[in-house]
Amino acid sequence: MNDTAMNQKYSPFNHGIFSRRDFLEKTGTGFGLLSLAGLTGMGLLGNEAHAADASGPLAPKQPHFPGKAKRVIHIFAQGAPSQVDTWDPKPALATHAGQQVPGMNGVAMPSPFKFAKHGRSGIEVSEVFPNLAKHVDEMAIIRSMHTDIPAHEIATVFMNTGSLRIAKPSVGSWVVYGLGSENQNIPGYISLRPGRMPPGGSQNWQSAFLPGTFQGTSINTTFDRVEQMIQNIRNPYLPLDEQRRQLDLVHKFNELHAQNLQKDAGLEARLEAHEMAFKMQTEATTAFDISKEPANVRALYGNSSQGKQLLIARRLMERCVRFIQVWASGWDHHSDIEGRLSASAEEIDSPLAGLLTDLKQRGLLDSTLVVWGGEFGRKPTKDKNGNANPGRDHNNKGFSTWLAGGGIKGGTIYGATDEFGGQAVENTVHVHDLHANILNALGFDHEKLRYRYNGRDFRLTDNFGKVIKPLFA
Amino acid sequence: MKRILVPIVVAGSFVFIASAAEPQLTKAQADFFESKIRPILVNECYKCHSATAEKVKGGLLMDTRDALLKGGDTGPALVPGKPDQSLLIKAVTYKDPDLQMPPKNKKLTDQQIADLTAWVKMGAPDPRKSAATVKGKDPRDAGKTHWSYQPVKKQAPPSVQQSDWVKTPVDNFILAKLEANSMKPNAPADRPALLRRTYYDLIGLPPTPAEVDAFVKDTSPDAFSKIVDKLLAMPQYGERWGRYWLDIARYSDTKGGVKRNKEDDRLPYAWTYRDYVIKAFNDDKPYNKFIIEQLAADKIPLGRDASPLAAMGFLTVGDRFMNNPNDIINDRIDTTTKAFLGVTVACARCHDHKFDPVPMADYYSLHGIFNSSMIPKDLPVIGKPVDESAAASFNSKLAALKKQETALEAQERAAKKNRDKKAGKKLQAQKSQLDGRIAQLEMDDRGSPPKAMVMFDKPKPTDSAIFIRGEAENKGPIVPRRSLEVLGGPSRPAFKNGSGRLELAQAIADPKNPLTPRVMANRIWQHHFGAGIVLTPDDLGVMSDPPSHPELLDYLAAHFVEHGWSVKEMHRLIMNSAAYQQSSANNPKFAQIDPLNHLLWRANVRRLDFESMRDSFLFIGGKLDQSRIGGPSVNLFLEPYSQRRSVYGYIDREGLSETFNHFDFANPDMATGRRYDTIVPQQSLFLMNSPLVVEQAKNLVRRPEFTAAKTEEEKLDVLYHIVYSRPPRPEEVMLSDSFLKDTKPYKSVTTAPQPATASRAVAKKKAAANKKRPETPVEAFRARAPLGSWEELAHTLLIANEASFVN
Repeated sequence: MNDTAMNQKYSPFNHGIFSRRDFLEKTGTGFGLLSLAGLTGMGLLGNEAHAADASGPLAPKQPHFPGKAKRVIHIFAQGAPSQVDTWDPKPALATHAGQQVPGMNGVAMPSPFKFAKHGRSGIEVSEVFPNLAKHVDEMAIIRSMHTDIPAHEIATVFMNTGSLRIAKPSVGSWVVYGLGSENQNIPGYISLRPGRMPPGGSQNWQSAFLPGTFQGTSINTTFDRVEQMIQNIRNPYLPLDEQRRQLDLVHKFNELHAQNLQKDAGLEARLEAHEMAFKMQTEATTAFDISKEPANVRALYGNSSQGKQLLIARRLMERCVRFIQVWASGWDHHSDIEGRLSASAEEIDSPLAGLLTDLKQRGLLDSTLVVWGGEFGRKPTKDKNGNANPGRDHNNKGFSTWLAGGGIKGGTIYGATDEFGGQAVENTVHVHDLHANILNALGFDHEKLRYRYNGRDFRLTDNFGKVIKPLFA
Repeated sequence: MKRILVPIVVAGSFVFIASAAEPQLTKAQADFFESKIRPILVNECYKCHSATAEKVKGGLLMDTRDALLKGGDTGPALVPGKPDQSLLIKAVTYKDPDLQMPPKNKKLTDQQIADLTAWVKMGAPDPRKSAATVKGKDPRDAGKTHWSYQPVKKQAPPSVQQSDWVKTPVDNFILAKLEANSMKPNAPADRPALLRRTYYDLIGLPPTPAEVDAFVKDTSPDAFSKIVDKLLAMPQYGERWGRYWLDIARYSDTKGGVKRNKEDDRLPYAWTYRDYVIKAFNDDKPYNKFIIEQLAADKIPLGRDASPLAAMGFLTVGDRFMNNPNDIINDRIDTTTKAFLGVTVACARCHDHKFDPVPMADYYSLHGIFNSSMIPKDLPVIGKPVDESAAASFNSKLAALKKQETALEAQERAAKKNRDKKAGKKLQAQKSQLDGRIAQLEMDDRGSPPKAMVMFDKPKPTDSAIFIRGEAENKGPIVPRRSLEVLGGPSRPAFKNGSGRLELAQAIADPKNPLTPRVMANRIWQHHFGAGIVLTPDDLGVMSDPPSHPELLDYLAAHFVEHGWSVKEMHRLIMNSAAYQQSSANNPKFAQIDPLNHLLWRANVRRLDFESMRDSFLFIGGKLDQSRIGGPSVNLFLEPYSQRRSVYGYIDREGLSETFNHFDFANPDMATGRRYDTIVPQQSLFLMNSPLVVEQAKNLVRRPEFTAAKTEEEKLDVLYHIVYSRPPRPEEVMLSDSFLKDTKPYKSVTTAPQPATASRAVAKKKAAANKKRPETPVEAFRARAPLGSWEELAHTLLIANEASFVN
């Protein structure tokens, strides 16, 4: 185990938060009881009982300055949505239809969709988002996003970790590392996916060199029952109190095992994993059970896979989960923009509008940063591989992403692409910049949120990133 | 380009050992240059300012660092660390009306300008080698001097002070480096621990208490080497080591991706490749032959036994990418070059490799080879069915289905001709269903003969053109089908024999090839020590970290070739060393100097991989089915649980079982020489709650050894010996005793009905889909009878760390 020694240095045991002696004392004198007490609280947002017994690396921490956002939900429109058919209208494509686009190897293809002004801000939105359009006054739409490489897997992982090559922690891992969690009974970082793994797999929620406890927990939400979504979430043989007794014995055996061996972070990390698993059994079961929601709320999100994911996401937010990633894939439209893009948009439009409405009603929107976007954008030209019913090819030079809630100034348009929408030209925003602004919303100076690893300080934004004041209220 | 074509640097590999050469650039600097600066220079400047430019303007070259420092007609282009004084920055900021670059109002973006400025400010770190005469292809030259491309030099084992420690020449290399750092190796591991380590390393299962006992009592000097020989001769060895190779071969029982095309996605004969691999390891097939068979078994004389044809599953069990031919070829190039050569050739699909000496032309040479090969419609039969008496009935069932298929295909053609889209869609769905039934029949019927997933040469092999920027429609010059430049030099001959697959295989398996033996020696080493001599087993290229023991790696590689490419000989050489047999005990002083144990002052503690863990639990429960080797894949996660070894588990690359995911199983979409090693709560949930685990605990206390034990002490002794290969310690006896005594009756768990969240129709549809795809485990929760106190204690031993870690 090569990572072992590396982790050792960063094990919570070595930071004085949770010494080995503490642990022995706790196991000897009712550590188990303490944990059970935590479970009975079952409390929702901000329950102090949860915070009170937090002593590990997930203990709540203060950011550098008070940030409006306390949590983040990132809806990952994986596949690279076309900006000129969604958030970035380009009439020039119609007036130049079929003509060579300067600097692009192809001819202009107008959007098949109509754009109309919405809200007080009068921001133009494509007809594919009839419900989200009603929320433009909450959104800051960045029309000048750009990234480095137009290949799905690399760009997807890059959007989540800011790294093209070496394994670096994902945004969610940095956030939980920085803020900790107010609920020790459920992972602080949860990634929801409707089925198979996204390109890049678990790299998208990896903690890399940060301790494993900051890694995202990935959950397949296609199943109907919690026991199927989270495998083995219930023990079919033992009730909780008996299982607690068993787990205490496991810890004692493990402690003896470790004494007879040597210090090993791999062995120690299992303690935390076991404890989290034990607590998840109750907390997660409730969190993922959307049948507990009243019918009108269920209707608001709709009976679809994204509706279900977003409703679960809101229940997780109420349980103080810090960072929720929601995979809403299927945006790789090389052909049939008209049919396929509108279908992808429809999947998310009403459920996500429902989430925004629900968060607002509950007074949670102000403290929740909502991020929607893909890994890159698409060319304004006809895809050469396309058939009679063309789509658009990959494009890393320009795309749109929007932010809402969490201190964001609604009704904002930031940056612009060129006349045809192919390249960000005005106030360009790189992936590192987006990351800097997510951290800023939470109260972090992205240059100061650091982690020392092998003699060097690492940041989410590497040596880059700029905070964009106009995005914030 | 769907995949990450670059090595992922595993955690821990930032550390450089004192003796390793300092790289010129830090990784962060190299990263920055490659992601930000090089693209600007190449795209915006090289056209007029590089050695390859048609006409160099202003006397300025920008394709090496020296050229930038030297500058052009107006002086040096940059002053490292001083953007204000650098003409480059002045030009791109457009501040001076007379010096604006790129010209004609094609000003760079603010971000690009900021990046260039930041780069100059940090001293303009630049990996491009300073040979002014180089024609723009720097990586080729830079890379040529990289250690892994140099011939293997058989090294003499260095002399050491503590010479009585040395058991095999391997030890000289390890000890010499330890002594150079004023360190010494650990004491030998105790015998039970060593035996357990050896069993897991070679067969992936623990020893029985009787085997431990016999080894402890065997005082003969060759006691240990006898064990190694015994284990190497067991068929379970191939099941263990074959799986490592299947990780590299991105093995899966499904095609992936095609589902969206409404095609059935099963590969009914993938398992014949898996069985070939297991047998190859068990037979100690010479590794050079193993390579040739996997790439070109169809092109070599096989005699009467056609079974090695199955080897070509190496090429064909990959993802089918919605039938995109270029993606399929890319996957085959990627897997072949990473697996055998440790070079990431697929990076050169869209551009010359940024770091290694692999130009695009090399990629498209290989492209031509694979593009000149194809999968035949009818796969060759390579053996007898499980039940020969069922063969006739299978054949008639298959013939009936094939007849239906032919009819459907005719109807499809007719529909296409009549442009009847609706009928076409319906027919396609019918055909997909039919394909599914055929696949199911071929997989499950006892009369179905095994077939090999071969490739053959196309009748008319063709060379491929370079795809400019990787775009299939953007063709560049045609390149001959031939080996890589880094292997054969610039004037290597074109391949003549059909597609050229055999010649490629021979070039890879050439004993003079410096990469092939090094890559395999490193892989074998890694699985014995938990980390390779090079930490990235699939990439020994320029971006990999330097080897911890380069001389040892060369010694191993040379030994491998000299001993007939025998993998088993490598196990003997490595395992009989004192380095392998040392204990894993800690040494705080050494842990300070070398925390990652690069120098091997101790044995590493390792977590069992999923397969070894699951197989051990079944073995401990006395239920592991070791009666036969091979056969069609089985579902591992549905009750009643299969008792076969995990290597026979059905692998669906589209819907990999969650349990596999949680335990860091190899990604079946890419060559994986090293799995991740994470610890997450879902692993704990599996250990704590899965009936798969708990039932084995119940089986354990039903074993005759346990039921025959009379006293509590005897019972505990039996449990500890079976699960941990040792007796319990006094503290453990005490803890267990009080646990048993404190047991009180508890309420049994109930199955609380949970309202389904989806509509009944959806649920029904899903249930039907799951029936068709049994590999997706979606069993409903079902409460079970409470555990007895001994069952609970046995389960506790399985959850505890000692059951899933090896010292």
